[in-house]
Amino acid sequence: MRIELDVELLDKPGQLIKALEPISRLGGNLISVIHLRETLTKRGRVPVHIIVSLENLETLETLLTELEENDVWVHKVDEVRRKKRLTILLIGHVVDTDIRDTIDRLNNITGVLVADMSLSMPHPEKETSALMDLEISNPKKLAVALDELDLIAREKELTLVKSLEI
Amino acid sequence: MRINLIGFGVIGKGFAKTLLLKREWLKSRYGFEPVVVSISDISGTLVNPVGIDLASTLETVNRTGKIIDCPGASEMQSLDAIRDVDAEIMVEVTPTNVTTGEPGLSHMLAAMDASKHVVTSNKGPLALAYKKLKSTAEKRDVKFKFESSAGGAMPLINLANEVLSGDEIISIKGILNGTTNFILTKMTKEGTDFETTLKEAQELGIAETDPSYDILGSDTASKLVILTNAILGREATYSDVSVQGITKITPEAIALAKEEGFVIKLIGEVEDGRLSVAPKLVPENHPLNVDGTLNVASFTTDLAGDVTIVGRGAGAIETNSAILSDILSIYRNGAGR
Repeated sequence: MRIELDVELLDKPGQLIKALEPISRLGGNLISVIHLRETLTKRGRVPVHIIVSLENLETLETLLTELEENDVWVHKVDEVRRKKRLTILLIGHVVDTDIRDTIDRLNNITGVLVADMSLSMPHPEKETSALMDLEISNPKKLAVALDELDLIAREKELTLVKSLEI
Repeated sequence: MRINLIGFGVIGKGFAKTLLLKREWLKSRYGFEPVVVSISDISGTLVNPVGIDLASTLETVNRTGKIIDCPGASEMQSLDAIRDVDAEIMVEVTPTNVTTGEPGLSHMLAAMDASKHVVTSNKGPLALAYKKLKSTAEKRDVKFKFESSAGGAMPLINLANEVLSGDEIISIKGILNGTTNFILTKMTKEGTDFETTLKEAQELGIAETDPSYDILGSDTASKLVILTNAILGREATYSDVSVQGITKITPEAIALAKEEGFVIKLIGEVEDGRLSVAPKLVPENHPLNVDGTLNVASFTTDLAGDVTIVGRGAGAIETNSAILSDILSIYRNGAGR
């Protein structure tokens, strides 16, 4: 996977290697490094734009941890690529059990967003179905979102149908 | 090679038919001449040390429904037949029971104690007492084969353990029950509700009179436990599976999923050590989207990537394809020639 990283280094010699060494050790393939030595950031650090090819998300997570440990500030990680879209389906009295609350509880998890939803209400008395698209921008929050969904389904007596990849 | 056949219902009779059908072929291709020396059902046992006439036995039992009505049959119980009638293999095809595993479990343990190889399609004992059965087979130095118990005719266990033996299997997921797949497929295609579709499946003989074992997910869960133990080398039991059936699925939910390019399928899955059976949203173009009564299973492996196999998960003759393959594998490995 191709990842773009914006990092900030301390303005003193020998700092760039601290950002590049973990990438090489984790088997990453450097595609480009733009080192803007002259333009310091507001915090007086040196911005570096790195494009790297990494094996998977797990490698990325390890890399981010190691960079932080090396005092390399990770300012931005290729946001778009890190987002994962998941589809889930809720069956039951989805509306009557406060659908606003269901959505809010998911949106309240940082890194999780209910991005889209379609409803099917065959009859006011009958069971409703809601198909939701969740945008997960922080992979670590996936499990939290799924736990919350399980909890909501149990509390509100809804049937939860997850998509195959979950 | 001599066989004790225990159970003479749909699968047992299918076994007799399969042997009749393949007799010449087995002889010419492998020099293999299996003889059934005893057949037991709940009514009694028929014994013939040089081989039972399967055609006339089938004819009688198709008429009366009981082994005891065959000429020469006695009230000998199945466990006595296993202990007392000499044979190299016991084929156990009695009805499955996922609560006690009986009578299959006692049959299998007795056969192993009598140094007989065991071939079975019976899920109950495997889902409840796999560890005990496996260790008893090892202790008695007999083979224990059960390819037909999970996935019917699909050669899942042999595929994973023989053909893909250089790969590590990371996860297994699939549709392991034809009845629920038939119901969900029909609801998807015709927009009918669950109750109506279930009734139709019962009229067609695809769902049982008491369909709960299938529609609540228990059958899928049993098969998942068997595959997990046999392929991933675990010692899971039925109680380790989180199980959700398909009774709450509505035609509106199916239609909504379809608009977004998904179908709903009952999926059995083992991943990261967790066993679960639940309806899932499957992308329409995904290999696991198979229709009707078909079954499908997909292995994720370290070297080969995903390997998916589709086939018939049930049926008298289809199930016996796997039973016969297990018997042949024992025969070809040198036992009981």
